[in-house]
Amino acid sequence: MPWAKAEEFVELKNRFEGLEVEEKPTLTALHVDKGRLIELLKALKEEFGYKLFIDHSVIDFPDKDPRFQAFYILYNVDERKRVVVKTWTRGELPSIEKLWFAGKWAERECYDMFGIRYEGHENLVRAFMWETYQYYPLRKDFPLEGYATEYLPSLNEVLWGDNLQGLMNYDRMHTPVPTLEDLEITEKRRLQKKAQIVLNWGPLHPGTHGTMWFLFDLEGERVVQCDVILGQLHRGVEKLAENEMYNQFLVYTDRMDYLSALCSNQAWVVAIERLLDITDLVPEKAKYIRTMLSELQRINSHLLWLGTYALDLGALTIFLYAFKEREKLMDIIEGITGARLTISFPRIGGVRMDLPEGALEVIKAFIKRFPKELKEWETILSRNRIWLRRNVDVGIITKEDVYYYGLTGPVARGSGVPYDIRKFEPYDAYEWVEFDIPVGEKGDVYDRYLVRLEEMRQSIRIIEQCVKALEKMPKDAPFFAESPDPKKLKLPLDGIGLKVPEGEIYSSGENPRGELGFYVYSTGGVKPYRVKIRPGSMYNLCVYPKLMKDRVIADAVAILASLDPVVGEIDR
Amino acid sequence: MDSVLAWLIITVIKILVILGIVLGIGAYLTLVERKVAAHIQRRPGPMVVGWHGLLQPLADGLKLLTKEDLFPRYGNRFLYNLALVLALVPATLVFAVVPFGPEFETFGIKVKPILTDVNVGLLLVFAFGSMAVFAIALAGWASNSKYALIGSMRKAGIVVSYEVVITFAVMGPIILAGTLSTYEIVQKQIEQKLWYIWLQPIAFVVYMFAVLAEMGRVPFDIQEAEAELVTGFTVEYGGMKFGLFPLVEWYVEGLSLSAIAVVLFLGGWSPINIPFLGFIDPLFFLGPLSPFVWFALKVTLLFLFILWLHWTLPRYRIDQITSTAWKVMLPLTFVNLVLTAVIAPLIWR
Repeated sequence: MPWAKAEEFVELKNRFEGLEVEEKPTLTALHVDKGRLIELLKALKEEFGYKLFIDHSVIDFPDKDPRFQAFYILYNVDERKRVVVKTWTRGELPSIEKLWFAGKWAERECYDMFGIRYEGHENLVRAFMWETYQYYPLRKDFPLEGYATEYLPSLNEVLWGDNLQGLMNYDRMHTPVPTLEDLEITEKRRLQKKAQIVLNWGPLHPGTHGTMWFLFDLEGERVVQCDVILGQLHRGVEKLAENEMYNQFLVYTDRMDYLSALCSNQAWVVAIERLLDITDLVPEKAKYIRTMLSELQRINSHLLWLGTYALDLGALTIFLYAFKEREKLMDIIEGITGARLTISFPRIGGVRMDLPEGALEVIKAFIKRFPKELKEWETILSRNRIWLRRNVDVGIITKEDVYYYGLTGPVARGSGVPYDIRKFEPYDAYEWVEFDIPVGEKGDVYDRYLVRLEEMRQSIRIIEQCVKALEKMPKDAPFFAESPDPKKLKLPLDGIGLKVPEGEIYSSGENPRGELGFYVYSTGGVKPYRVKIRPGSMYNLCVYPKLMKDRVIADAVAILASLDPVVGEIDR
Repeated sequence: MDSVLAWLIITVIKILVILGIVLGIGAYLTLVERKVAAHIQRRPGPMVVGWHGLLQPLADGLKLLTKEDLFPRYGNRFLYNLALVLALVPATLVFAVVPFGPEFETFGIKVKPILTDVNVGLLLVFAFGSMAVFAIALAGWASNSKYALIGSMRKAGIVVSYEVVITFAVMGPIILAGTLSTYEIVQKQIEQKLWYIWLQPIAFVVYMFAVLAEMGRVPFDIQEAEAELVTGFTVEYGGMKFGLFPLVEWYVEGLSLSAIAVVLFLGGWSPINIPFLGFIDPLFFLGPLSPFVWFALKVTLLFLFILWLHWTLPRYRIDQITSTAWKVMLPLTFVNLVLTAVIAPLIWR
């Protein structure tokens, strides 16, 4: 596990009074007083090389005083280690937006969900909920079902006087929904109009690839400033996680990044296995199957990206070419797992079932054919003059931006930061397979395009090796972990959850859209106390307003598609 | 008196024939486009309505006609509807000066298969072409939508840039032919035994670029740009009103501009040309119909070429399109103009 060692911070201890270093196999945490938090973070960033911002959130302990424990996760890309900084607060924290822009978005989220006030935050607005919403949903005292305060009668009743009966006769009291005025207030709080017109780009717009609401302040076609209003797809997954068992939460990970469900499943499953410390018990076969499937899913996801990206830039045909291959992949995944989109195939401790007969042959046929197809598309696009003019030098992200904005995944790699969890912190079978990490040089849209194409090729390589390994295994090899002491650890997961010891972990997986991390805080029992999901898409998106400055609308689609966000993951 | 009556009757017949052909073919080109696109994309396309989807345009038309007519709140209804007229009429009127074939004789009457052979035919074509920008600007303005407005401004920007380019591009053939009449230009090409494309390749390429830009085809389809502007200036139109815009822009205008390209550069109704030597006609067995078939064939091929580009290439950005027009194409046409003026005496002999 790539956590920083306690002895590294001995020198820091002298500088910061009351700094406590806590080292556990699952986490290394620095506990610091709130007053010296910024100073410590600055020292970590500038002197210790923890430049990459991973995540920030708080945990709510209603019985304690101070009530909230805030944590900041940082990463040192050069030395490949991670550290968590923790502090306690009653509801105010200093803002870290000067250190990391990504922190600004994380702080908005905490303000939205916990009501934490940040001193020095430039524009503290709600991240997901509308501005006039009164509650802080992730606080422990907010009930799961919400407060039903609004009276919303059925339309049938109002218009035709229908007397609803039976199941149709539901409760008329609902949780609040935003009205048009609410949305207007939300919009006004986000963006002060400076130029000619404010173009509402979204929430439902083909170019946004989901329900994101962009505000472009336009001078002619030039974007003077831009902001995003998120939350149209907010389902409170983190709140749900606190109320579901560890095994049950698996199905919600499907619904976050719905285009790469298997990768999200894998990240969650691995996180819990690490928390339970049963990684070694998971049979090799299961690990290979999970790796192979999530690489298939990665190709699947990148194909959707390629198709829609080309579509956004007007190359209508590539879209259908890509979807044709994607269809084959979907069929393969369906044949193995029984589902096409929301898959939930991996389980904590293995996979749901063994590979069906002939699955490996189908996959072999696919990976034999796929590189040829890929090459054909590249012939149409990669050296196309129009394609180059639309892509090269558009939306340049520098290395410094990557750290400052907390970017991960292909976006970070496109800018030349070789940050790939599969290499840095191998999980499942990634340590046994060979593959390269493609990186870009300039960090423009074109580099990210090339990186993703090359990633597909590398995925093919990984799948090839997995298929080879799986073919060698005997047919009756176990695909599910056998617990040495069945009383202690109930691994077959149907119905009853499994008990997880007290502890906390941050574990992440490399999703096609960036690092998907799970910070799980467990107080024992079958349900987690707090799950913070680190959505790769969200932090990747936070660089968008900066990239859009002084660009035209036509670049908006190119840049957005190259960041490749999925709203299900951003909003959760 | 008699001859005037005959002329009137013939003209009315011509108008009906041309309108029927243009609008009928225009509608059916939607099917052609969908089929071509489908086969480029490795799928069958419309297959359900009629044999291989042959009745699809009728079904589409029926659907569009029976749709609810929506009008955007706070829009300008008069301009909103005027835009439709302004789009359809000039685009169709261009066909008045398109010669479909050589003069022929039936029932003792000499008939020129061109509605009106005015001596400023080409000027008329480009005058009508520039009218299209009014329709689009009005449509964008009257819709009271930001997307429509941006789309129409983009289109206006393109049309203004490419009108200049296209005018200078056709200057070459005009100099070579020494006339502005479309019918005469074809005649001259046949007399000189020369398709002008052989001497004017640059002008032809520039002309085709400009055609793509005026038609709003990929790589210049930025005024629609589904991903950015939904469908640009047509976004607030519904039903058949919406259907008219693509019909006019993509099909009627596409046909007329391809026909003009054939007239200017590909020798109109003449068969395959060997420069300065003569013509080879592999379709000689069709007899007097052969020229008409040649004309239709050339227009079809040009149109299919445009479709092919549309379904293959990505699209440019607005600034890139206009800068190409002003910085690359316009100087090229100037060079071409000078060269043509030098060469022209050789052709006239």
